[in-house]
Amino acid sequence: MLKYTVRRIVTGLISLFVLATITFFLVRLIPGSPFQRGGVSEQVVEAVEQEYGLNEPVISQYMSYMSNLLRGDLGISYQDPSNRVTDIIARAWPVTASIGIAALAVSLLLGTIAGVVRAVTGKRYVKELISGGSMLAAGIPGFAAAILLLLVFSVKLKWLPASGLMTPAHYILPVTALSLYPAAMISRLLSNTLSGELQKDYVLFARAKGLGKWRVILVHALKNSYLPVLNYIGPASASLLTGSFVIESIFTIPGLGREFVGSITNRDYTLILGLTVFMGAVVIIINLFTDLLCAWLSPQTRRAYRKEEF
Amino acid sequence: MPGRLRQHWKNYTGSSRMAVAGCVILGVWILFAVAVPLFGPWSYSAQDAEIRNQGASLAHWFGTDRFGRDLFARVWYGAGISLIVGTASTLVNGGIGILYGAAAGYAGKRTDMILMRIADIISAIPSMLYVILITLVMGAGIGSIIVGLCIAGWISMARIVRGEIIRLKEADYIYAARMEGIGRFRILFRHILPNAAGPIVVNMIFLVPQAIFTEAFLSFLGVGIAAPAASLGTIIQEARSQMMLYPYQMIFPLVVLCVMILALNMTGTAVEERVGSRRGREKK
Amino acid sequence: MSMLEVQNLNVRYLTENGASEVIKDISFQVEKGEIVGLAGESGSGKSTAMLAVMGLLDGRAKIQCRTLSLGGGPVRPGYNAAMIFQDPLSSLNPSLRIGKQITETIRLRQKCNRKEVAARAEELLDMVGIHNPSLRMRQYPHELSGGMRQRVVLAIALACSPDLIIADEPTTALDAVVQAQILSLFKRIVRETGTSLLLVSHDMGVTAALCSRVYVMHQGKIVEGGSAEDIFYSPAEDYTKRLLADARGSRKVPAKAAESTPLIRLEHVTKTFDPSEGIRDLSAEICKGEIFALAGESGSGKTTTAKVLTGILCEDSGHLYYKGKLLPGKNRMEAFGGRVQMVFQDPCASLNPGLTVRQALREALLASARRGGETPDPGRTDRKITDMLELTGISGGDADRYPGEFSGGQRQRIGIARALITGPELLVCDEALSSLDATTREQILDLLFDLQKKIGFACLFISHDMYVVRRISGRIGVMYGGRLIEAGSTGTVCSDPWHPYTKQLLESVPEPDPLRAAKVKAAPSKERGQDAGKGCPFAGKCGYAMECCLSEIPETLRFGERQVACFLYSEAHSGKRDRNYKMTSQI
Repeated sequence: MLKYTVRRIVTGLISLFVLATITFFLVRLIPGSPFQRGGVSEQVVEAVEQEYGLNEPVISQYMSYMSNLLRGDLGISYQDPSNRVTDIIARAWPVTASIGIAALAVSLLLGTIAGVVRAVTGKRYVKELISGGSMLAAGIPGFAAAILLLLVFSVKLKWLPASGLMTPAHYILPVTALSLYPAAMISRLLSNTLSGELQKDYVLFARAKGLGKWRVILVHALKNSYLPVLNYIGPASASLLTGSFVIESIFTIPGLGREFVGSITNRDYTLILGLTVFMGAVVIIINLFTDLLCAWLSPQTRRAYRKEEF
Repeated sequence: MPGRLRQHWKNYTGSSRMAVAGCVILGVWILFAVAVPLFGPWSYSAQDAEIRNQGASLAHWFGTDRFGRDLFARVWYGAGISLIVGTASTLVNGGIGILYGAAAGYAGKRTDMILMRIADIISAIPSMLYVILITLVMGAGIGSIIVGLCIAGWISMARIVRGEIIRLKEADYIYAARMEGIGRFRILFRHILPNAAGPIVVNMIFLVPQAIFTEAFLSFLGVGIAAPAASLGTIIQEARSQMMLYPYQMIFPLVVLCVMILALNMTGTAVEERVGSRRGREKK
Repeated sequence: MSMLEVQNLNVRYLTENGASEVIKDISFQVEKGEIVGLAGESGSGKSTAMLAVMGLLDGRAKIQCRTLSLGGGPVRPGYNAAMIFQDPLSSLNPSLRIGKQITETIRLRQKCNRKEVAARAEELLDMVGIHNPSLRMRQYPHELSGGMRQRVVLAIALACSPDLIIADEPTTALDAVVQAQILSLFKRIVRETGTSLLLVSHDMGVTAALCSRVYVMHQGKIVEGGSAEDIFYSPAEDYTKRLLADARGSRKVPAKAAESTPLIRLEHVTKTFDPSEGIRDLSAEICKGEIFALAGESGSGKTTTAKVLTGILCEDSGHLYYKGKLLPGKNRMEAFGGRVQMVFQDPCASLNPGLTVRQALREALLASARRGGETPDPGRTDRKITDMLELTGISGGDADRYPGEFSGGQRQRIGIARALITGPELLVCDEALSSLDATTREQILDLLFDLQKKIGFACLFISHDMYVVRRISGRIGVMYGGRLIEAGSTGTVCSDPWHPYTKQLLESVPEPDPLRAAKVKAAPSKERGQDAGKGCPFAGKCGYAMECCLSEIPETLRFGERQVACFLYSEAHSGKRDRNYKMTSQI
């Protein structure tokens, strides 16, 4: 177990390092200078580049960037020098995180309910309805769902606000749009494992013990089939984070996603670099955390890892 | 006789109604994506100031956009681009994944461990981030999107192939084949890979909608396909500025995109169930 | 009135193509405190009938019944009835502690506080013979042994103090020695608590050992019912007679080893996975043309031996000689060149599902032809395939079908045909019969025996079933804890076992005969603490264990054709022996 934990942490750290390195060099490879815009003369561009240290050899730039990174310094925005990248993140991250956590909670709830009902119900049409619904939800890209929701609920019906994030009502549309896809995946994962689990002898034995149907499903079978769902939280958080790029720009929410899209359109390289490294790190850490949680929760996996160690 | 015929039809469709529906839709979509740009009266890129922002009509079935381009031609041209991106990246990812997974699974031991750790590291980084960076570096276009998709897209395939090979390598009939003295490569190609084909095909089918999904997402962000070429994502993005006034400009490409992804998912799910039922309870 | 009264029970499964009747109009009774057996082959509908009685079939099936009452009222699982299933590991929730799984059942019935519930749970565990209840309560199912798991399952069943316990194949997944212990536990529990027991089993021996009345079921109907004596000694129905004949089997006379030149000799072979698995310091030999059997409980290293021998696994240390020539573990499979073949336990997994029978056999022939450097002649290959299939009882017309289209017994025949088609010198059968029904098992056993006589290959026959082993083999080896503890000719070892474990193993097999099966002795379930790898592996459970057994590993002692690894037979124990000393059983 300890060995597994250490191995996972080391893999995570290497992933972080690889991510930072690749991102750094990719950003340096983007053609043209970040300061080259209409009406700016060559001299000015060169002068600014000198000021930011962009004329030094790439390797030394890389070294200084990495050492700054280790100290938690991501540099300053090229387009808006009054802002440090870390400040932008500090401002935008809580917004994105709050939506993300809300969406994760909603998708877990929705997905679990749909998955359990699909696995348990004997009615054919309920099964097909949920399968069809989750296939639809998994098939509609997040931005399409967001636009459709926006058109229907705030433009046509005017029930819900279209932009900003002031009141709880503002959360409804973006959170719904974000959570559709993960919810569909969770319901699919859960219903598959749960219906497999319900075939097993211990479920029958629990019924023979006299436990009620729902107690057997919720306490015994669900607990054993939740592992794949927990495993999915890592990828789900990645998809929520990338989903937030478009959701935030559609609903004009001042979060990380909108900053990222903005940095791409403005070719603000330090910001792109900083945001990529930050978001990558978030996903890697969540992945690490859920993996360890899964290993820790299930006695069987714990044993499997222990066996791996000798 | 009619009763028996009906039973046959029921048996046939009952198990694969979804696959049939998925394939039919997909066939129609491919037909349109090929035929409309080739034989349609309108070009996907020709602008005409006279007919800007028109609604659906007999001449322009999906109407026109703000530059007076025929949306029907554009949408199907875009669908074609999406399909090309999806298929090409799937073929590349599938190829890399099968080779990588087969190498790791069949070699085993240290090689396997090193190869899979590398895959772990790559897959831990959210791929969308560097797909975006790569399209920035290489410039927008089909090529750079495919390259971007192929950086991490093969990992799921490699894991599946590796798992299958490791599972089959320990199967009794492989031991039997080895005892008969059949050569290593013949065992791999005649005995192991054909039995692993089911999950590989299923995963291949699911790679296509994923790639189309990603491409649409990138184009919508404005880092995907560059003008004058257009994919469904670009068309939706262009219509966004006039979303309130002319929602149909967005609805048509959205529907075409969603139905396409849905049809692919349906086919995949149907094949998955087929493969799953054929293997029955072989596992566990 | 009887405790359990079932009259005219019908069960129909609802499928896409209408309903199929599984249970046809069966009636039976169980009296208070009585043990009743329900016997029959797998697939006869025994389990379905029991699930129907318990009301656990849910919406999957339609149940019709004129009377179904338990103690005058309805059957209520967890209140007046409990059920036990075949595999204790899958019956227990893998992610809940044992304690929780017992207490939740107790709480269902009576409201009481945590302490009282825990006390009751410990009491129950103690009742089913678990020595350290408070420790076991904190463990997960996978941390217990198979026998202990079934005890826990029984404790859970007893938690509601039921009027009736239905036990569905409760010992089928267990080893012989443990099975005997669990059977005697059932007896004791019925005597002590006065509950009724309905025992469902395909094993006529188990049925004979426990039941006072027996019903025989066949294709969804009860064909015969009566007292155990009537059923076993004077069965009326042909089906019952056949069932009993298959269970008793006929004694085969194994071919004497043609020559006593060893074909394969293992010397001090060790292959371990972790402290409790693998084989240690194993020496044995298999002669040309003989059937050598390896017996022992699961996990004793039988399969590992087979795998090392065939070259699937490479030994950690030790040597293997093939016809006197040393073969290193690496590439042993290639070195054998098809002269060692194997028949596997699971007939579903041992055939490539993607090849037809003909293709699979042709693969084997092509490989052997290529090795011989000859070009295979398609006509001759085809003739060979048809001949071999006919020899194993598969008609040549079936050669172009896929393995999935055959039944388990047929697949095992195909597996044998595949193994024999290249004319091997040694055939390894690893539990080749244990996944088959009694009737099919007899057929395959006959087939193997006849083929061996006809062709004359040597055979390593591995089985946990002493009853099968003693009937087919010429020589036998008994394994325990990864070591070969006794070996010798089957007749002498089985009639006069020397090693305490062999004796226990032989005594714990119930025969399909109520009088004899009643004598089955259950070894006391001891769990003496012992350092793994130190001392005799059996010392912890041995009634004869001495001081030295716990600290030293007994060496293998040879007396003529017999060998035994036990301190009881050492010179240190019996004193100096002269040259002509004739060793006899010390136990």
